[in-house]
Amino acid sequence: MIPTLGHVAVVAGLAATLFAAASFVLGARRGDAELVGVARRAMYAAFGLAAVASAAMVYSLLTHDFSVLYVVRNNATTTPPFYSVISLWAALQGSILFWTLLATGWAALVLHRFRDRAPVLMPWVGMTLALGAAFFFAVMTWPGDPFLRTSPVAAEGNGPNALLQNHPFMGLHPPLLYLGYTGLAVPFAFGVAALITRRTDEEWLGIVRRWTLVPWTFLTAGIVAGAWWSYEVLGWGGYWAWDPVENAALLPWLTATAFIHSSMVAERRGTLRVWSQLLVVLTFWLTLFGTFLTRSGVVASVHSFTASGIGGWFLGALVVTLAAGTALIVWRLPDLGDRRPAGEPISRESAFLFNNVLFLAISLTVLVGTLYPLAVEAVSGQKVSVGAPWFNRVGAPAFVALLFLMGVGPALPWGGASAATLRRRFGRPVGAALAVVLLAVVMGMREVAPLAAIGFAVFVVLVMADEVVRGAAARGRTRGERAGTAAWQLVTRNRRRYGGYLVHAGICVMAVAIAISATLGTEVTATLRPGEELTIGAYRLRHERLVVQALPDDARVRETRAELTLSGPQSGAVTTALRDYPSSTTAIATPSVRSSLGEDLYVTLIGYDPDSQSVTLHVFINPLVGWIWLGGAIVAAGAVFAIWPERRRIPTAAVSAAAG
Amino acid sequence: MTRWVALAGAVLLVGAAVAMMLLLQRPSAATSAEQAASLAAELRCPDCESLSVAESRTASATAIRQEIASQLAAGRTPDQIRESFVARYGEWILLEPRGAPLWLVAPLAIVAGGGLLAWWLIGRRRTPAPDASQPLSDAERARLASELERLDG
Amino acid sequence: MGRSMLRWLLVPLLVVPVGWLLFTGLGRDPREIPSPLVGKPLPVLSGTTLDGSPFSSAELAGKPALINVWASWCPPCVSEHPLLLDTARRFGGELQMVGVLYQDTADGARAFESRYGEGGWPDVDDASGTIAVALGVTAPPETFFVDAHGVVRYRHVGPLTAEVLDEQLAALGLQP
Repeated sequence: MIPTLGHVAVVAGLAATLFAAASFVLGARRGDAELVGVARRAMYAAFGLAAVASAAMVYSLLTHDFSVLYVVRNNATTTPPFYSVISLWAALQGSILFWTLLATGWAALVLHRFRDRAPVLMPWVGMTLALGAAFFFAVMTWPGDPFLRTSPVAAEGNGPNALLQNHPFMGLHPPLLYLGYTGLAVPFAFGVAALITRRTDEEWLGIVRRWTLVPWTFLTAGIVAGAWWSYEVLGWGGYWAWDPVENAALLPWLTATAFIHSSMVAERRGTLRVWSQLLVVLTFWLTLFGTFLTRSGVVASVHSFTASGIGGWFLGALVVTLAAGTALIVWRLPDLGDRRPAGEPISRESAFLFNNVLFLAISLTVLVGTLYPLAVEAVSGQKVSVGAPWFNRVGAPAFVALLFLMGVGPALPWGGASAATLRRRFGRPVGAALAVVLLAVVMGMREVAPLAAIGFAVFVVLVMADEVVRGAAARGRTRGERAGTAAWQLVTRNRRRYGGYLVHAGICVMAVAIAISATLGTEVTATLRPGEELTIGAYRLRHERLVVQALPDDARVRETRAELTLSGPQSGAVTTALRDYPSSTTAIATPSVRSSLGEDLYVTLIGYDPDSQSVTLHVFINPLVGWIWLGGAIVAAGAVFAIWPERRRIPTAAVSAAAG
Repeated sequence: MTRWVALAGAVLLVGAAVAMMLLLQRPSAATSAEQAASLAAELRCPDCESLSVAESRTASATAIRQEIASQLAAGRTPDQIRESFVARYGEWILLEPRGAPLWLVAPLAIVAGGGLLAWWLIGRRRTPAPDASQPLSDAERARLASELERLDG
Repeated sequence: MGRSMLRWLLVPLLVVPVGWLLFTGLGRDPREIPSPLVGKPLPVLSGTTLDGSPFSSAELAGKPALINVWASWCPPCVSEHPLLLDTARRFGGELQMVGVLYQDTADGARAFESRYGEGGWPDVDDASGTIAVALGVTAPPETFFVDAHGVVRYRHVGPLTAEVLDEQLAALGLQP
């Protein structure tokens, strides 16, 4: 009954989105605002239908309705409720349903917020979003039906994918990432609308900038949460493996970040219109490309869902989007031209544009590295790999160069800079950065990557701090505000700029933490009998006993657990386990991570012998890893600060009265 | 004048990127344990996704690490060892593809992109700014108003 | 005409190669890796069989051979086992079969054979994985078909099927 309801909702959703798309087009062509209003309501309905279908799926999972194939494959009677609910996005069909829910949600939100604004653009925005949602409803109607029934009804299901039921982070990382992915359809829709209506002016740019920043924030948080999940769950001591699907999430992030920067130049100078459109189309295309990679089985990856007929559908969508996007831009190329200058070669404008060069070069590199094995196989039939060592070696210098530009850009004035300004703004930060690097060398650090990261990060943070301090001091002088008040007033009056600075500061924290954790960690592998100890750094780990038992909340999962005692800078009981899930042939590691400000002690169990009770442990000291997540949080906070709506301006007199 | 400074800056940037790339080449390993570790990091773990033999603890990764150690102990060079794994698993086992200098993608893209941008910026500077005489756009006007207000505020 | 129309060429120039590249990837299984050993002489493998006698692949010369890498903990190995038993019955004298016991214990293997059937061919113990690495094995089960001259003719990844088995045995000159 409930699954049937879900299926009906999906089919009705397809009808509603197709109807909405047609009505948007008709409404726009006839200038019929009423028809556009009807279309908008059809999109609200599509969101409602996607919500009904998702609720039906969650209900089926929670009640273990094994007449539904998806539930049989991803659920068992013993699955705890939390993991039942998040199984909505644990496998292919469910994740498409969840995706559709978010995509229609974004569409409804945008259409609602702009119901009285931008009347020329909005019907075409609506059409684009409706067609995108229609595609996903169509996929669920034909090749990827989440409510496909199975008969006879199974008595017990397979349970969720072992990797996905091992850590609560699975409830966080996919929704954030999907919110980012699906949200990036909004700027694309505005881009399409602007191209169709020839309104590629400041209005669309302003809207698109804002509506890129919001999904960008989710995408950033999703990527960081994914790295964190991988670190806490996969048990290899790292957080980023340059897996094809990680790359697929990074690609739209890179191009969206490039757009956020170039759009500031575009807004200020009224130029770069072709470039802005290209970036918006490319970003959206790359989000589709990411879903294609995950869902087609083209590449082997931790994330790939089983190969299925859905791949062809996504390929079709990719080709159509790419063709339509480039055709639209080519069609409007004559309108998009301009001869406006974009500032002096040494100016904030050109720094932002050089940043675009780097972001696009990194994107191209990551894309080429991801697709190279596919290309080689297509041409010669040979299988080759491109993995982490290649990406690290080729990508690291470009990322370091970006770090450098991050300091240079904001410190350069718009328009152009004189030599005196350069000296004044860069002198002290450069000196301080060099001093810090020198200090690090004296203290014994020899690796190039962390030295470069530290040097540039210090430079960037000091340049920004210098500006805030000078601005606040000026405010304090002219208005007699206290330092704290002056600084707060300064930053809240230009949220975009100072939010951006906070984002940059977060990135600096992450960069240093990544560079150091990647190069300065230590690890050891040892086999211990009960009572024996291993030493790593200042830590001592003693093996107490080996315990084998079923998990308390899921009796079908057998946990083999090493109980250890830790002493040293941190102390206490540590347990690390291997879990055998009925749905997995290999045991899943459950590493123990003890975090402190300076370093993580990361302990995984990699083998055991029940007869002698001995365990084989792989232990890492990962310096500064916690700061990566902290940096991610700072980035997110900065982005939220920047997006936060500016306070309505109170008449000047009232402000002075309040301040005084 | 500034043009030359910009060009010098761009050249410097690219030079720094290339220098960095060379510096980040894999360090030469001295001891045999280091050699083993760096070899393991170059080989793909056959029965996992996207991890190297060094990072993985699966059965075959463990076996390959043992094989690396025993080949090193037998006095074989890293090149010979690499070759022996390619002979069994194929080129697929190497995490950095050989043959085509694929890594050139990054520096070439940066140099080409940087060159194009410099050319564009400089070309734009020569043409007299056409908007000098044009009325301000709405956005510019709004911005001007808000900046002025901020100054008053 | 001219330049204004020429720019439309951009669309197919971009779409066709990208579409083609991704399309070629669609039908493939990314986990299927061709073995470089095919067409080359079998590397020398040596070890000890489960019953304690020494084994060397040099003994295999002169007759076609089938080398099956397996483990008792591997479910697909269970599903292909009846086919192997059947093959042993049909070609007993003409085909030499060898099992390579991959990262497993002798006890596990004996329990497996008493449960699913004992075929009578020797099983070489490869608890350390040395033989598997020499053969470039990714994960069990994998099966190598070697001709009478000791040259590897085919490598099958995953559980055997009757079709693959018949076809490859026929290629080795063994007709049912």
